Order: sequence, then C-alpha cells, then structure tokens
Amino acid sequence: MNVTTVMLVSGLILILAGCIELIRTHHMLKIIIGLELAIKAISMFLTLGGWLNGNIALAEAFVVTVIVLEVVVATVLSGIAISIYHKHGNMDIRNLRNLKG
Amino acid sequence: MTVLQWIPHLFLALPMLALIVNNVIPRARIRTTTIAMSATVAGAQMLLALAGVFLLVESGESAVRFGMIWDAGKNVGYFQTDLVSMFLLMCVGMVALASALTALTTIDDHRGSYTNLLMVMMLGLNGMLLVRDLFSLYVFLEVTGLASFVMIGMYKSTRDLEGAFKYLALSALATIFILTGLSFLFIKAGSLAFDALTPALFSGAGDGSTLLCWAALVLLISGYSIKSGVAPFHSWLPDAYESADTAVSIMLSGIVTKIAGVYSLLTLTRLFDGIAPLKTVLALLGMFTILVGALLALAQKNFKRIAAYSSVSQMGYILLGFAAGTNLGILAGLLYLFSHSAAKSAFFTNAAALEKQLGTLNIDEMGGLQKRMPITSGSSVVALLSTAGVPPFAGFWSKLMVLLALWSAGLKGYAAFALIASILTGAYFLRLQKKVFFGKPNPRWDAVVEITGGIRVSEILLTIVTVAVGLVFPLLLLYLQRAGLI
Repeated sequence: MNVTTVMLVSGLILILAGCIELIRTHHMLKIIIGLELAIKAISMFLTLGGWLNGNIALAEAFVVTVIVLEVVVATVLSGIAISIYHKHGNMDIRNLRNLKG
Repeated sequence: MTVLQWIPHLFLALPMLALIVNNVIPRARIRTTTIAMSATVAGAQMLLALAGVFLLVESGESAVRFGMIWDAGKNVGYFQTDLVSMFLLMCVGMVALASALTALTTIDDHRGSYTNLLMVMMLGLNGMLLVRDLFSLYVFLEVTGLASFVMIGMYKSTRDLEGAFKYLALSALATIFILTGLSFLFIKAGSLAFDALTPALFSGAGDGSTLLCWAALVLLISGYSIKSGVAPFHSWLPDAYESADTAVSIMLSGIVTKIAGVYSLLTLTRLFDGIAPLKTVLALLGMFTILVGALLALAQKNFKRIAAYSSVSQMGYILLGFAAGTNLGILAGLLYLFSHSAAKSAFFTNAAALEKQLGTLNIDEMGGLQKRMPITSGSSVVALLSTAGVPPFAGFWSKLMVLLALWSAGLKGYAAFALIASILTGAYFLRLQKKVFFGKPNPRWDAVVEITGGIRVSEILLTIVTVAVGLVFPLLLLYLQRAGLI
C-alpha cells in the first residue's frame, strides 16, 4: 500500500465520519463539528492532488481559501445556532418543527 | 477598449462600489436612500447585460475574457463572459430589481443590512457566471449561499431562524459533496480550470484514477442538486422560502437556486459533453422533480409554499432541457429559466401584496379577491398562464422549445412525460386562483384595497416582461437563427 492509497482511504473515512455526524446528530454544534471534520479531510485531498501533480502552489491557494470559507460558514452556522438557543433554551434540532408541509 | 470589453468589468465593480457607498451613508439618511441604490444597481445590471447580449451576438465573438479593472489592457483573463452568462446576468439584474422594489414595502427595519446582503449576493451570483474554473465557481457559490442564510434569518424570529438553519445544514452537506468532488478531479487532472476538464478524463477503463473521476461526477451532481433544490434534495426549499421575507424569497426562488444549482449543473454538462450517464441522470432527476414538486404543491395551503413547490417542479423542465444536450436544449433550458424567473418573481410579489393587505397567506381564508385587488389578480393570472405553458406568454414558447429539444434529441418518452405533467402545473395553479382570487368572496375582506408603491410597480413590470417577451418571441428566435445560434 503506497502513500496515496493510505491518504485516500484515511481521508474517505474522515469524510464519512463527518457526514454521519452531520446527519445523525440532534445537536447543532455537533453539526458544525461534522462539517469541520469532513473539510479537514478535503484539505488533505487537495494537498495530495497538488503533490501528485507537482503543483503544490495551486494546492496551497486552494487549501487556504477552503480554510477561510469553512471558518465563515462555521461562524454563520454558530450565529444562527446561538440565536435559536436564545429562543428555545437548548440546541436540539428536534425543536425546529414550526415549518411543515 | 471597446464597449463590449468594458461592460463585464461593471458586473463586479458595481455591487462592490454600492457595498462601500451603502456603508458610508449617514445613518439618518440610510432609510430613504439605500433601497433606491440597490434598485439602481440591479436595473443598471439588467440594461448593461441586455446591451452586452446584443453586442456579443453582433461582434460574432464567442466570449470576452478580462481581468480585474487594474489589469485592463494587459493580456490576462481570469474572468470570461459568453452569451450564456451574459443572458443569465440579465436575469440576475431583473430579479434583483423586482426584489428591491418589493423590499420598499416589505422591509422596514433592516434596510441597510438588506442592501449590503443583496449586493454581496449579486456579487456572488455575478462571480459564478464570470469565472473560468470550478474552484472559483465553488467560492462564489459559497459567497451567494452565506448571503442567503443571513438574509433568511435577518429578523431572528423563530421561523426565520428555522428556515435559515435547515438551508444551512443541507448546504453544509452540499459543501462537503462539492469539495470532495473537486478534490478528486484535482487529483486526476492537476487543475480545475475549465480548459483542463475534458470528457477525456473519463476514458481509460479499469484505471483507479478514472474511478475517482466518476465518483467526483456523482458527488458534484448531488451537491449541486441540493443547492438547486431538485427532488429528492428539496426538503430545505419550501421552509426557507416560506420563512424568509418575501423580497428575499423573490431572490432565492427567482435566481439564487437557478444560478447556484442549475447553472453549475449546466457547466458540468458543457465541460463533460458527450458523457451519456450524465445526461440520463439529469433527465431522470428532471422528471422526478417535475412530478414530486407538482404533487406536493397540490396539497399546500400557504400561498408562498405553493409557489415554492411550483419552483421545485419547474426546475425539472430546465433540467430536462439541459439533458437533451444539444444547443437547442441548452437554449431552451435558459429561456425556460428566464420565463420562469419572471413568472415566479411576479408570483412572490403577489404573495407580498396579499400578505401586506390581508395579513395572512392561508389560501383557505381568502376568496373573491379579484374585485378588491385587480392588478395583483391580473398579474397572478398572467404568471399562472405563463408557467402552465399557455400561448402567447413567454412560458409557452420556452416550454415548447424544451419539448422540441427533447424530441429532436431522441428522448421522446421524456418529451411526452413533460407534456402530460404540464396538466399538473395547471391543476395546482387553478386550485390556487379559485381559492384566492375567484370563488365565493369572503366578507372579512370587504374593506381590502389594492396594493400601492414598489410592489405594484414590480407586479406590473414583471407582467409586462412576461407578455412582451411572449409576443416578440418568434422575432427573437429568428434573430438567434440569423446569428447561427440555433
């Protein structure tokens, strides 16, 4: 098993873990953690792509941009989660039942 | 530099400039000036893009490449605009104008924030249409998405936050799918520029890296489908549209899902032209979406929810147009997108008018409003007829073109299905019209009067667009044929 395969497999496991966390959890902050986990693995894939193709500069630019965007998304998501916490007193997504149909 | 080379710069410069100006206006004056400014930027974009479409057709060039303003004259071109993106830039301007006019009435407290977010959203949408690589497309997609989340949750009411959270949670999943797909493509191709991504990446059977490409394609289609609210990924869409302010719903339904989702899918079909499974998947998604959206719309009681499910359903026709894969199919999909943008924006302005004058959107409580609100009723009927595909409105011609494109591409079964499914569109809209504007008048609304101000202007403008485009459509087709586009 070479380095590429190891990185691909471990990255896929991380992404799968992130997605499962995101789908199965009832806690809003855990959704953010799931997203962060998956995006860390994606940063690894982007670095791997740069390394395999001899274009590490481009990969660096991609990874830095992804980090910035992920932080912004996490901030907005936690902002909304905190506002919901002020309304309901907890962060359980099962409280979100007003809109149906 | 020619006019044609200057116009594309303005699509990025205008929203950025407006964003800066909006934040230096003194607080005391912001209420009166800010929405006028966003309407001006949106209107200017619509007219500039319209001029750009004609200049581009006349010049005979396929695309204009350009850098930022400080790179003018140098031979750099990290942005590009062609006929497709120029046309969609015009749609962005049109819908943003309708949204700003509606916001004059519906938004009272957060006008400064509304303009800021609308400009960021327009910047994101314009950026998506102008970039030349899939990674930048993703970056601007995220910019658009972030502006949408904050706009939906702007008033921080329980319902707003719920709608915003549901959208954001599913978008997070879409982000993971899209980024994983992009990283797989990057591993295989070494670049994400449009020029480097060709169907050749998928040849070479049995190779491990080819498998990565197929996985990337599946992930990208799923991610973009979530963003466009195509069934079965539509669960966030009605909640977000219903909870958001109507001016925001107009932007979301009229253009955001279309550019963020459908334009991205169109980019995929244009890059990987000739890959049969991609077209089959789009056609199946389109068919399923038409059916699910229309059936769910039949069961709703809230005016905005019906419009939202109708949006889902109409998205299917656009996908079917793209699935035909031919030039005619892409053109048909784009024209459908335009006519649907105009009709659905009109429909949401009707919702804004009803909400303002009646204070409710439950269609069971309405009835016989046609006499009380003739302009709203008329514009709603035109939007209905256009969406259902009745001549001579814009929706009829674009639906006809989608059917022709499917038929000529040999997808006759899909064409027949699309035609039969139009009956469902008629059904849920007729039910809506009967309960809201016709039928037995409800004595509760005897004192209701017609809406005035920005909403009325917006209703009239969008109705004129739908009728006028429908009437000049044959001339438009002749013009496109003379230019060699169909």
